[in-house]
Amino acid sequence: MIKLEEVTTEHLNSLSLEVKEGSACKIIPDSDGERKSLLDTISGLQKPAGGSVFLFGTEIYSIPEKECISFFKRIGVVRASGGTISNIKVWENITLPVWYHLGKKPAEVEGRIIEIFEQLGISTSYLSGYMGKLPGPLPVQEKKIIALVRAMLMEPELMIYDSLFEGMSPEMAKKLTALTENFHAEKPSFQRGCLRTIERMETLKLHSF
Amino acid sequence: MAQIINIKKIGEGITNSAKSIKGCYALLHYSFKHISMLYTAPIRTVLYKQMYFTGIEALSKMTIIGTLIGLVIITQVTNLVGSNAELTGKILAWTVVRELGPLLAAIIIIARSGTAIASELGSMKVNKEMENLRVMGIDPMDYLLIPRIFGITLSVFVITFYFQITAVAGGLAITSILKDIPFLQHIKGIFTALSFFEIAVSLLKSLVFGVLISTVSCYQGFNVKSSITEIPQAATRAVMQSLFFVFIFDGIITLISYV
Repeated sequence: MIKLEEVTTEHLNSLSLEVKEGSACKIIPDSDGERKSLLDTISGLQKPAGGSVFLFGTEIYSIPEKECISFFKRIGVVRASGGTISNIKVWENITLPVWYHLGKKPAEVEGRIIEIFEQLGISTSYLSGYMGKLPGPLPVQEKKIIALVRAMLMEPELMIYDSLFEGMSPEMAKKLTALTENFHAEKPSFQRGCLRTIERMETLKLHSF
Repeated sequence: MAQIINIKKIGEGITNSAKSIKGCYALLHYSFKHISMLYTAPIRTVLYKQMYFTGIEALSKMTIIGTLIGLVIITQVTNLVGSNAELTGKILAWTVVRELGPLLAAIIIIARSGTAIASELGSMKVNKEMENLRVMGIDPMDYLLIPRIFGITLSVFVITFYFQITAVAGGLAITSILKDIPFLQHIKGIFTALSFFEIAVSLLKSLVFGVLISTVSCYQGFNVKSSITEIPQAATRAVMQSLFFVFIFDGIITLISYV
């Protein structure tokens, strides 16, 4: 699904890795620059000085940009910053890709959204006030949850979690772990891959459960 | 003398202008090439929102400014030519429909929406929201550029027509109350002075202005790199370049149509 062959950037030194169908890859970068560089390279945003980046068997820097972007219909990305769009409301942020790519109207996925939020212990009454807000003032942890729900709705073949647990309370981190594990296990016939970057501090926190 | 005329600066200015024109052309070409993206429901929603912000929200200001412009022109003309309904109608039609209508509507849209678009896109660029769209599999050019180009162009087209009607009818209505000028006689004068060609040229101008304003504003917004201090600069450049191009194209269309 993802294959990096001797990728070299300012922060990465001849990095090679592969995420196959149904497998999970955990990366603990040495620095924030390394983490950002890795994700930007995979996202087609930063062409490496050397090496190749393959998404679903295609070298993404040798194809037109539009084709490269279209691969991300198949990948769910939860960015460390949350990755929300500031000029549309929370519910629009959550339903944008599913409406854009699959043509599912927000009302059609409402039930699934409530279900995911309930698994995280977020009640419907809280959601009703939260959904109509613009995401700008929300804390980054809530933005990451928005991005996670948004990515899960697309039922992607591959999930990329970028520092998902960073800044989360231990309880929320526990719920997120359970949610993502269930998500990857819920369709055994569907070999969903996973790439997860974890900050050093996060690993300590996760192991302290 | 060498200090007053800085050849290097002039050269840089010309290069930057050429770069801007090339960039704007590329955006415009992309928008027309991918116009079919407007069939995608979320993009259509952005188009409707843009038309609401640029068109409908500007209506109240357009009504007030249009009526006042009409009032000023009629007052000055009647002071000059007396109560010659036919001549007043002709002058009003010529100034408002041929020139002032499209030009003033464009200036108001530049002030309201041109700056807003350049700063909105600029801040989205700085906050890496375009990258966020990319990793959702959505091309930022499709989602952000296309609905803005067509939304603003259609809005300027409609707003210009509305502005002209308000200026002519509103101005005449108020002056006929204040100065005892026969309203219907003046309206008749306007209709005899106006031809289909004049209305068509005026609406062509509004379409061209709409394309120019939206393309320049989007280009300046997309051109912001990574610093927040670039956003107000982009907004200023969007206003200045839009005004510059609007005046140039106004001159060109007027020359071609009426000379």
